[in-house]
Amino acid sequence: MIFDFLIERFPLILSGFLTTVQITLFGVLMGLGLGILLAVGDLYGGKTISTIIKFYVEFFRGSPILIQLFIFYFSIPTLLKIPLDGLTVGFIVFGLNSAGYQKGYIKGAMESVYEDQMTAALSIGLSKAQAIMYVVLPQALRIVIPPWGNEFCSLTKSTAALLMIGVRDLTSIGKSIASWTFRVLETYTFIALIYLLWISVVMKILDILYDKVKIPGIEITA
Amino acid sequence: MECRNLWKIYGKIVAVRDVSLEIKEGDIRLIFGPSGSGKSTLLRCLAMLTTPTKGDVFLRGECLTRPGVNLNKARARIGFVFQLIWLFHHLTALGNVELGLRHVLKLPKREARERAMQALREVKMEEWANHYPAQLSGGQQQRVGIARALAKNPDIILLDEPTSALDPELTGEVIDTLRDLAKEGITMLIVTHEMPFAREVADEMIFFDEGTIVERGLPELFFTNPSSDRARKFMERLIERRRRE
Repeated sequence: MIFDFLIERFPLILSGFLTTVQITLFGVLMGLGLGILLAVGDLYGGKTISTIIKFYVEFFRGSPILIQLFIFYFSIPTLLKIPLDGLTVGFIVFGLNSAGYQKGYIKGAMESVYEDQMTAALSIGLSKAQAIMYVVLPQALRIVIPPWGNEFCSLTKSTAALLMIGVRDLTSIGKSIASWTFRVLETYTFIALIYLLWISVVMKILDILYDKVKIPGIEITA
Repeated sequence: MECRNLWKIYGKIVAVRDVSLEIKEGDIRLIFGPSGSGKSTLLRCLAMLTTPTKGDVFLRGECLTRPGVNLNKARARIGFVFQLIWLFHHLTALGNVELGLRHVLKLPKREARERAMQALREVKMEEWANHYPAQLSGGQQQRVGIARALAKNPDIILLDEPTSALDPELTGEVIDTLRDLAKEGITMLIVTHEMPFAREVADEMIFFDEGTIVERGLPELFFTNPSSDRARKFMERLIERRRRE
């Protein structure tokens, strides 16, 4: 069979896939946690904090992720004298990068539910922090699910850049197999299919989640 | 509750102009007056949802406008019902009432649930406890809004035109609820233009215009012979409208 050479190397491909999945999931989740903090900080932290957050976001959104990987991979270990392997750098950079994007989505969603709900929450005696925790965020995070899907999608594909700092992710494994076997077209097509399948599955899960947590009685038609 | 020489100024606009007001326990005071006259702003100042520019607000003798007062604690003792209702969309009717009991009064789960159900019963909404706001009519939503304000057993409830976003039929059911509360002797300050209701329950009516109290007195005064020109004209228009309806 023409795909025998790929089936033989299945364990290798699987390990690459798992690396990609790990970094993406970690990145998206860390991005979510940090993104919430950044959004809340931007909305309530005052001018100084807001400015710092702006610089942070502009850096991670305004420069190629490959450059960010290089900076963390080559400079940080020298400057701080701590050894960092490619995988660790991958986790950190993708988390920080995703937070920069997710902050925007979350802030936007918070602002859309913010004013009247906040006033109502304060009127019953909740503190601002409690109001964010129990009233604003639960509604904002529901709205954020669709853009979150986009973020997941683009982050998954960006992980291909990890190959440049020696991480054995799915693309990197594919590249090796292609150069060992010279079966370039079959290899990359197969690798692309794996990405496609994985992203489709996660998107479907997010769709189901979005339906599940939808507030009864409200149809969001946007 | 009391306020002394209260001012609220937004830039060049004076929304509330030197208002002093005292509401005793069990009192029902009614505020009415033209749109944009500062009634809502006054209520928000009293609930400390916005900080007054000048003047003081007292709740049971405690000054709320002094720096360093724990405003969350103070707001927990003041019920507020909004003109546009503003329930928490993501919580059921029960959840809306329960939230403050759980996280402000820190009641244990079972007690909070019982008290929330009790409040819903008082506004005749216990059958709808597990419905979300978007599944309820405007009148039902506002009754949940009243239950939310009522459940924490506040010293006073401030109601900002609780029926003006509702059609006449729904207005009726909310007014019935308020009438029940009035019978129970709950202290209330209500902004409303529902005159028959006002006449029935109010201990005092206050005519408000251009950010300040123009005239105050027993309901009968306004229905028979208001002394200020503006109040008389306003009353005539209200009565005229009611006749047309």
